[in-house]
Amino acid sequence: MTIRPTRNTDLIRSSRFRAEREAGWKKLETLLSWAERSGVGALRYEQVHELASLYRQAMNSLSVARSISMDKALLAYLEALCARAYLVVYAPQEGIRGAIWRLFSEGIPRAVRRSSLPLLIGFLAMVLGAVVGYVLYFQDPGWYFTFVPPEMSDGRAPGASVEYLRSTLFDDGGRNKETLGVFASFLFSHNTGIAIFIFALGIFVTLPSFVLTFYNGLLLGAFFAMYAEAGLAYEVFGWLSIHGVTELSAICLACAGGAQLGLAVLLPGNHTRRQALQIAGHDAVKLIILAGLMLIVAAMIEGFLRQLVQDTAIRLAIGWGVGLLWFLWLGFAGRRHNMPAEIEAQA
Amino acid sequence: MSNRAENIRPPEGVPISFEIASGGSRFGAQFLDILITFGGLLLLFIGLIWAGLIAASMLATLFLLLIFFIRVPYYIFSELVWNGRTLGKRIVKIRVISADGGRLTPHQIVARNLMKEVEVFMPATTLMSGTLESGWVGLALGGWMVGVLLVPLINKKHLRLGDMIAGTLVVDNPKAILLPDLAVRKSVQKPTFVFDASHLDVYGRYELQTLEEILRESPKSPQAIARISEVARTIQRKIDYVEQVLPTDYWDFLSEFYRQQREYLESRQLFGDARESKFHNKNKQE
Repeated sequence: MTIRPTRNTDLIRSSRFRAEREAGWKKLETLLSWAERSGVGALRYEQVHELASLYRQAMNSLSVARSISMDKALLAYLEALCARAYLVVYAPQEGIRGAIWRLFSEGIPRAVRRSSLPLLIGFLAMVLGAVVGYVLYFQDPGWYFTFVPPEMSDGRAPGASVEYLRSTLFDDGGRNKETLGVFASFLFSHNTGIAIFIFALGIFVTLPSFVLTFYNGLLLGAFFAMYAEAGLAYEVFGWLSIHGVTELSAICLACAGGAQLGLAVLLPGNHTRRQALQIAGHDAVKLIILAGLMLIVAAMIEGFLRQLVQDTAIRLAIGWGVGLLWFLWLGFAGRRHNMPAEIEAQA
Repeated sequence: MSNRAENIRPPEGVPISFEIASGGSRFGAQFLDILITFGGLLLLFIGLIWAGLIAASMLATLFLLLIFFIRVPYYIFSELVWNGRTLGKRIVKIRVISADGGRLTPHQIVARNLMKEVEVFMPATTLMSGTLESGWVGLALGGWMVGVLLVPLINKKHLRLGDMIAGTLVVDNPKAILLPDLAVRKSVQKPTFVFDASHLDVYGRYELQTLEEILRESPKSPQAIARISEVARTIQRKIDYVEQVLPTDYWDFLSEFYRQQREYLESRQLFGDARESKFHNKNKQE
C-alpha cells in the first residue's frame, strides 16, 4: 500500500478503503468489458494474469466491504463487479472438440455400462410389447387395426395378398436415389423427435416412457406377425433387421434414459428428489445423445441401404454387423484397467 | 437487494448475489429465440427458393435437417458458445449460470435444453395445431401440459424442470455502476455541524442507506426542495439537534449528518454492535 496524501486522512475509514482500491476495480472493469465483448481468448497473457489477480482482489474487497462499509452504492457496485468477473473467470474452458472427444471415447460407453437397470426397463418394454403384439395378432388379426394407425399401414393390412406384402419388402417404392436423401433426413428428424420425447417424458416417474416404448413394441409385434402369417417371416426379419437393430435399440436407449430420470424421482434414496434427478441426469443425458447418434445411423441405413440392398441375407449381415459394432464400442471403449466386467446390455 | 436475489458461492468462498430473471424476461427470451430461429429459417428458404440455386430434393433434405437443428441443438450450441446465452437471452440480458458456483458445464447445458422438448415445444406445437384430443385423455394431457408450464411460475427461483435436472439458474446480467462516495467532502473546511454520540445513536443502517438514496440526487424542482427540507426537519427533531439550521443549509446539514452518522455506525459495527435500523435499542432491551 502506498502512502496516501494527507488529504485522505480526512476521509472516514470506509471511504479510505474505497479510495485505495478504486483504481484496481476500474482496471478490472475495463478488462472485463474487453473479455465480454471479444472473449478471454482476445486478451494477452499478462492481461489474463492481471484479470485473475484483480478478480481475487475484488472478491476480497467485497468480503471486507460487507463488514466495514455502509455505503450501499459501493456494495452494490462490488457485488455486480464480482458477479461479472466470476462469469468471465469461470466460463467453460474446454474446447468443444475436446469435450466431444471425451464424450465419445469415455463418457457414453461408461454411462451405458453403469445403467443396467434402466436399460433392462427400456429393452423389456420393447420386447414385452413385441411379444404381446405378436400373440394378440394370432388370437385375432383385428388387433392389428387397433395398434397400427391407418396412415402408417399403407395397405399393409391382414388379408393383403402375399405378393403385395412381398413387394413392400423388396421394392424400392419407386424412389430414385435423389429422393432417398430426403427420405433419410425425414426419418432422422421424425425418429429423433420421438426419441427425445420418450426420454423427456421419463421424468414423470418412468411410466410414460415405458408405455410409449411398449406401444412401439406392440406395433412391431403385430407387424411382424402379419408377415409371418403370410409366410414371409425370414424376409421381414431381414427387412426390419437392417436398420431396426440400430433404430429400435436407440428407442430402447431413449426409454432407458427416461427411466433413469423416472427412477430418480421414484426412488431418490438418501438424496432429495431434486438432487437425485441431478445425479441421474448425468448418465441419462449421455444415453439420449447416444440414442440420437444411433438414430442418425439408422436413418442412413433405412433411407439408403434398405432400398439399395435387396437380398435378405445381406440385409441381416449389415443390420447385425452394425449392431455388433455398437456393442463392441459401448462394451469395451474407455474401460479402466481394473474395472469389474459389467452386464451385457446391448441387444 | 430485491427479494429475487440468490446467493452463489464461487470457489473463492465469498458469496455473490445474482438477481433471478423474472418470468416475463424468460418468456420474452424464449419467444425471441423461436422467432429468430423459425423466422431465420423461413427467410433463408424464401431466399433459396427465389435464387433457385438448389434442386428441390436437396432443399427438402436441408429443410428437414434445419428444422431439427433449430429445436434442441440450437439452444445447446448457442449456450455453449456464448457461456449460457442464446440470442434471445442476449437481447433481454439474462443468462444461465450454474447453481453450485462452479463453471457451467456442457452436461448442464445439454440436460437443461433436452427437457425443453416436453416443456416448451411439445405444448406449443399441440396448442398451435389445435389437435387436442377429446375425452379424458385430452383432459389429462391438457392438465399435464398446464402443470409443466406452471412449474417455473410456482417455485421461487423460477426453475424449469430442465433447470432442476441440470442444477442451473437463469439470472439477470449483472450491471456494475460505481456512484460517487457521498462521505467525501467536496470542499476542505471545518464541519459546521457537529453531532455527538447522543445524536448519532438514534438511527441504524436502514435509515442511513435511505438517506444515501435521497442524497444521490440534488434537488432541482420546488417539490424536491420541499421534500429535502422536510427530511432535514424530521431528522433534526428526532435526534434533538437544538442548534438553529437555516433553510439554505438543509442540504449541507443532511450531507454532514450522513457522513458523521456513517462513520459512527461503521465504527460501532467494527466493535460488534451492528445496528440494522432505528429499532436497535428496543431489540436490546427485550
